[in-house]
Amino acid sequence: MSAAPLIDRAFLEKLERLTLRWRKSFPGLVGGHNTSRFPGPGQEFFDHRHFHYGDDLRAVNWRAYLRLEKLFLKMFQVEPRVPVRVLLDTSGSMGTGEPSKFVYARRLAAALTYVGLVRLDTICIHPFSSTLGEGMVCSGGRHRFAPVVDFLTGLEARDASHYAPVARQFASTYVQRGLLVILSDFLDDAGCEKPLQSLADCGHELLLIHLWADEDREPPWVGELDLTDVETGEKLEISFDEAARREYTASFDSYARTLQELAVRTGGRYIGLSTAVPFEEAIFGPLIHAGGVV
Amino acid sequence: MSLLNLSLGEFFALFGALSGIVLTLYLLDRSRRRQVVATLRFWNPAEHPPEARNRRRIQQPWSLLLQLLSICLLLLAIAQLQFGSRERSARDHIVILDTSAWMSARTGQITLAGQAKALARAYVRSLPAEDRVMIIRADALPTPATPFESDRARIEQAILDTTPGSAALDLNEALEFTSKVMRTRATRPGEVVFAGAGRIARHDADAGAGMPHIDNLRVLPVTLVAENCGIRKIGLRRSMTADGVWQVFVAVRNYGRAPRQVSLGLRFGGAPAGSRTLALQPDSEQNITFEYKTRAAGWLEARLLDRDDFAADNRAVLELPAMPLLKVAVFSDEPGLLRPVLASNPGVEARFLKTSQYDPGIDAQVVVLDRFRPARMPAAAGTLWIEPPSAGSPVPVRTVVQNAPVISWNSDHQLGAGLHTKDLRLGSAQVFAVSGTDVPIASVEAGPVIVARPGTPKLLVAGFHPMRSGMRYELATPLLFANMLHWMAPEVFRRTEIMAGSVGSVAHEFSADVAASDVTLTGEGQEAIPFTIQGRQLRFFTLTPGIVRLKSPEGEAVYSLTLPEVGETRWEPPKTALHGIPRHFAGLARATDIWPWLAVLGGIGLLAEWLLFGRARRSNFFRRAPARITSLAARLPWITRTRGRPVRKAS
Repeated sequence: MSAAPLIDRAFLEKLERLTLRWRKSFPGLVGGHNTSRFPGPGQEFFDHRHFHYGDDLRAVNWRAYLRLEKLFLKMFQVEPRVPVRVLLDTSGSMGTGEPSKFVYARRLAAALTYVGLVRLDTICIHPFSSTLGEGMVCSGGRHRFAPVVDFLTGLEARDASHYAPVARQFASTYVQRGLLVILSDFLDDAGCEKPLQSLADCGHELLLIHLWADEDREPPWVGELDLTDVETGEKLEISFDEAARREYTASFDSYARTLQELAVRTGGRYIGLSTAVPFEEAIFGPLIHAGGVV
Repeated sequence: MSLLNLSLGEFFALFGALSGIVLTLYLLDRSRRRQVVATLRFWNPAEHPPEARNRRRIQQPWSLLLQLLSICLLLLAIAQLQFGSRERSARDHIVILDTSAWMSARTGQITLAGQAKALARAYVRSLPAEDRVMIIRADALPTPATPFESDRARIEQAILDTTPGSAALDLNEALEFTSKVMRTRATRPGEVVFAGAGRIARHDADAGAGMPHIDNLRVLPVTLVAENCGIRKIGLRRSMTADGVWQVFVAVRNYGRAPRQVSLGLRFGGAPAGSRTLALQPDSEQNITFEYKTRAAGWLEARLLDRDDFAADNRAVLELPAMPLLKVAVFSDEPGLLRPVLASNPGVEARFLKTSQYDPGIDAQVVVLDRFRPARMPAAAGTLWIEPPSAGSPVPVRTVVQNAPVISWNSDHQLGAGLHTKDLRLGSAQVFAVSGTDVPIASVEAGPVIVARPGTPKLLVAGFHPMRSGMRYELATPLLFANMLHWMAPEVFRRTEIMAGSVGSVAHEFSADVAASDVTLTGEGQEAIPFTIQGRQLRFFTLTPGIVRLKSPEGEAVYSLTLPEVGETRWEPPKTALHGIPRHFAGLARATDIWPWLAVLGGIGLLAEWLLFGRARRSNFFRRAPARITSLAARLPWITRTRGRPVRKAS
């Protein structure tokens, strides 16, 4: 299957200039592109420390030993490879809105994956709703992008979203810390703050990309409404007017701020995107501005 | 209070239908909208606890009431609601403008038509603005100039565009037409107004009792104490006795109330041709005959030399046709034989030549060959052979008889018409063998002795010499020659009768029964004019002054219809008729039109509903100026009482 339905080739060429960016320092092998505060087998001198038993004798600063008769070990700066995981919300709520949040999220996931592939990062894409779905690991360059597109195209938006079991599954599956990109509308009736907090506590750097349709933030309808929750089927009758709309929007914005504060507090980043924003503009605008990619 | 455009039933039916539609749309618009959303968490804020309430059937009753009220106002505007009595509403009037020829008579500096137009305009201006007026121009025929019209500018323009015609007023026809229009076209009949002099024909005045009765008749008379003498008729015909003489008949009438002495002058081609002084008694007519000799064509003008109030009938013009001569060439060695019979006809110019002087191209319409056969046939239109040589006769000679009595003349043919002989014996006569289209004209026992051969050229062969036989002393002989010449050159002898008269209905009397297929009636532009024939009388009608030519087997008659047709007497309106410009119309309490205000109010109502309850408010269309509308809405407790209260439905 070609990549045309999600992202066209011209746009992919533009994406090749970008690089996935993370702020935290993660240990890892050489080969990454973000400097870590952890020393490792690098080329550039970083610091000295006392020699301990079991350290590599090749890293001992023998000149300092001859002068001071103490063993000091040279430490080097490293740019480690960091695993990048993308959690894509495939719950039923993602299928609402015009254009659909799910389509928008799939395109974003594809774009971020392509950026990582170009920089030889290892990307793991996991769909999730009430549970963590089967993921797809891709690495090895841009020519591995086509299977990603096929994988994303085959996904569907259904079921209800439950962040708590998903977070537990993820934490138990991936012990190694890394960048965790979550593409979701973060609409879980049970709340998603605690699961996200637990993921951050596990050492993952969170990049929360909050997607919403305009009708999610500012419903255009007025009058007597008979509302149905797309995920739970729960109904609500409401008399909706301008004041109620303002109240609704304020509540939505408050929730978005909560997510943002959580991300910032845990050292991560938060990007709120309306699906009304053109896709290209979203990549080269808010995503770069927030440091998600550089 | 009344509705102009709709009846009460129609109004309620329309209002009911529109109200039903509006109510249906309203209920549909205000009904609950089903919507699938991503989550319900933001729709149920914690600070507003769920509150159950009964669902109202009509959520915003004032919006509905405002809509219905606005629609009612707009419907009333469309129906043209009027305050005031319907009895005093608009009426339809008809103004008959007299456009007869007499209306061009002058009184001082203004014509009668000018007076009538001024009166008609004054009448129209005196009418209420709602009243409609129809203008009818009446002369011999009534012609509507406008339909029932309330636009005063158009009505006055139609009055100003009216000009007098050339025909007399047929008031009977005009009143009948008006009565019919008022019955069938008028919504609410008003007055029938006659503006004019009312000069009608005497027979119309005599039949005045038979005129249709008009209830609301008003007369706007124009006054002219006219002293007028005019040419009523002028006629022209060839003199039957004198060669090249025209007889001119002129009829002059005194329409005034005093005896008058007038001079009548006759001019031909601008040169005086005669004059006469006439003493005319009041309301009398006198016929005068002039004789004028000319063979040339030209214009003959008869003119009354004295001025009077009506100048249009003081002059009549006739077109005189040329009076041509028939050129006859006689080739005979004994010209003395034929000279008397040809010289007796004033329309014939005969030349007598020797047979040795024969020229086939001689300038003549008829060639007579007396006992002579030329080598080449003549080029003339007709040839008369008298006793041709047996060897060269154009019609084969069967035999020659001696002392044979003439037993028959073909009286059915034009050549034999009117010929009778008794005990006429021909000393020697050739008997011809006829064939084909040959027509025997005279016959003896052995066969035809005079044969005609139609065609081009025409040929006539006589087997005996009329002036050498016993026929020389018969009365039929000159008639026979006349018939021969007339048959061979009919256009020269065609009887032309020229008459001048007035436009309108014209009657022509034939001397015998004539089939309509043999008659052609054409105008100046050679256009056919319709006519009817009853017995021996032909009738046609024209309103356009000009020359009409009537061609029939009896000849050609030219009608120079240049004289205006003038009515002899003045119409006396019925005693119930009103006179003059009305004054009471201005004092009538007129119905007040309020439909513009109703339309404006309806529009304002719909706009207010749209601003207060409509999409503009719901979609916050006026984002820059919502505060005023919101504050206004906030003052209405029934609007804000239950808004923004979410209700959790028990599931």
